[in-house]
Amino acid sequence: MNPPTSESAAHVITLLASLMLVLQLLLVVQRMLVANIRVFAFQSLVLAAIAAVVGYAYEAPHVYVVAALTLAGKVLFLPWWLERLVRQIKIEQEIDAFVNMPASMLICGALTLLAYIVARPITSLERLGNNTLAVAIALMLIGFFLMINRRKAITQVLALLTMENGVMLAAIALTTYGMPLVVEIGIFFHVVIAVMVLGILVFRIRETFASMDVSKLNELKW
Amino acid sequence: MNLDLPSILAQTASLLLMAPLLSGLIKNWKAKLQNRRGPRIWQPYFDVAKFLRKDMVISEHASWIFSATPYVVFLTALSAGLMVPMITARAPMSLFGGALALVGLLALGRFFLALGGLDPASAFGGMGSSREMTLSAIAEPAMMLAIFTVAIAAGSTNLSQIVLASQGPHWKFLDPSHALAFAAMFIVLLAETGRIPVDNPATHLELTMIHEAMLLEYSGRYLALIEWGASIKQLVLISLLANIFFPVGLAAEATPVAFGLGLLFFAAKLVVLAGAVVLVETTNAKLRLFRVPDLLSAAFILATLALVSTFLF
Repeated sequence: MNPPTSESAAHVITLLASLMLVLQLLLVVQRMLVANIRVFAFQSLVLAAIAAVVGYAYEAPHVYVVAALTLAGKVLFLPWWLERLVRQIKIEQEIDAFVNMPASMLICGALTLLAYIVARPITSLERLGNNTLAVAIALMLIGFFLMINRRKAITQVLALLTMENGVMLAAIALTTYGMPLVVEIGIFFHVVIAVMVLGILVFRIRETFASMDVSKLNELKW
Repeated sequence: MNLDLPSILAQTASLLLMAPLLSGLIKNWKAKLQNRRGPRIWQPYFDVAKFLRKDMVISEHASWIFSATPYVVFLTALSAGLMVPMITARAPMSLFGGALALVGLLALGRFFLALGGLDPASAFGGMGSSREMTLSAIAEPAMMLAIFTVAIAAGSTNLSQIVLASQGPHWKFLDPSHALAFAAMFIVLLAETGRIPVDNPATHLELTMIHEAMLLEYSGRYLALIEWGASIKQLVLISLLANIFFPVGLAAEATPVAFGLGLLFFAAKLVVLAGAVVLVETTNAKLRLFRVPDLLSAAFILATLALVSTFLF
């Protein structure tokens, strides 16, 4: 492995990772459901690009497979599937959240800082881009917050997916060669299946309660 | 570093001449993207020339502030422009101040514009002024924090120093914190130049306008000065964004070749950023006024994160 390539590769990876963070924050701001799905697709595209760069710079061909899978699954298939779901159940476009926008933006800023602080002792040890772990943790935390904050089931699915993007980022970028291919493929199909099942579940919730507001699910307890 | 008269004159001339061209370019491309033919790109020159020839109608209730405002707006934008490195790395008036003076000058112009809107006591003017002030209260800190992020890496708030440092060997080109700061700064650019998610530059619909509402009472020469000043401000902000985040190709020494190359790179950067602005304007709808602070607070948080992450790493 020649140093200049890996150094510039680390730089590109860090940059792309921070782009993912910017997109994640954009998800928090964006209120339109379809736009949310597209931002998620774009974020996955950046993730696929990171995987491709890792595969190229560290000569790890199996990471290319991850890149291709991400591209096929999270950039093309899942957004298409989710958008179709949105069209089918004709939900209104605007997302309503529990915490209002500026406050949730502040919370997400605080979560990102937390991620940076948590990642700090570890970053001196790793070889790849030194911000990447922090960004990955931040993606997970913000994804988690989005899941808590949003009322509708389908936006919670989306939040789960962005969390998963964070996990994938950590897996690809921090272990240098990625995880074993079997594990990655396993995770990938797990996510795809999970989203499809969740999609059907969302459909059922909607049919039963005539709403996707998950707080209505409390009505199960008679 | 002493004052260099030719470079001041050159930059003043290029600010005056290029600003309407950039506005015209953005307008024309926007029209093209919306399947309209659109005005020619040099239309803003004709507009300014025509406004300068026309008579003025001034409200009898207006005080001297009303007449002073156009000059203040025009001159603050122009002198702010002299502090930004455009083609060469050294800005002509960098001696007098850096990022802080730039933000201060723009704020002074905005302050007077708001006063000018209030002064003739028309209902719309006051509405526009209050909106402008509300938004700029959030946009301005975001802009300062974004510039500070770059300034910390360069060790100086002087914009010329920042650009020179960024051409040095120790510069981490497009640091993650810069990516965050750039995103924040771009949102601020949209807000400050009155672009679509925040304000619609092409409308006089009273419910939505911000910048135009303050100008309603202006006509003739004053209107020409304000419009010209606004397009200069837009050029200043875009070149600030272009040159502190992508400081490639700025002429470091005063040779004709370096100068020509600098001009070429500068034009290319302007075209790319103008294209980005056009794309954002065409693909987004205008936000409701009460949603605009949400967008701007997002810019503020991004800039804060950028600044803090420079300290953490």
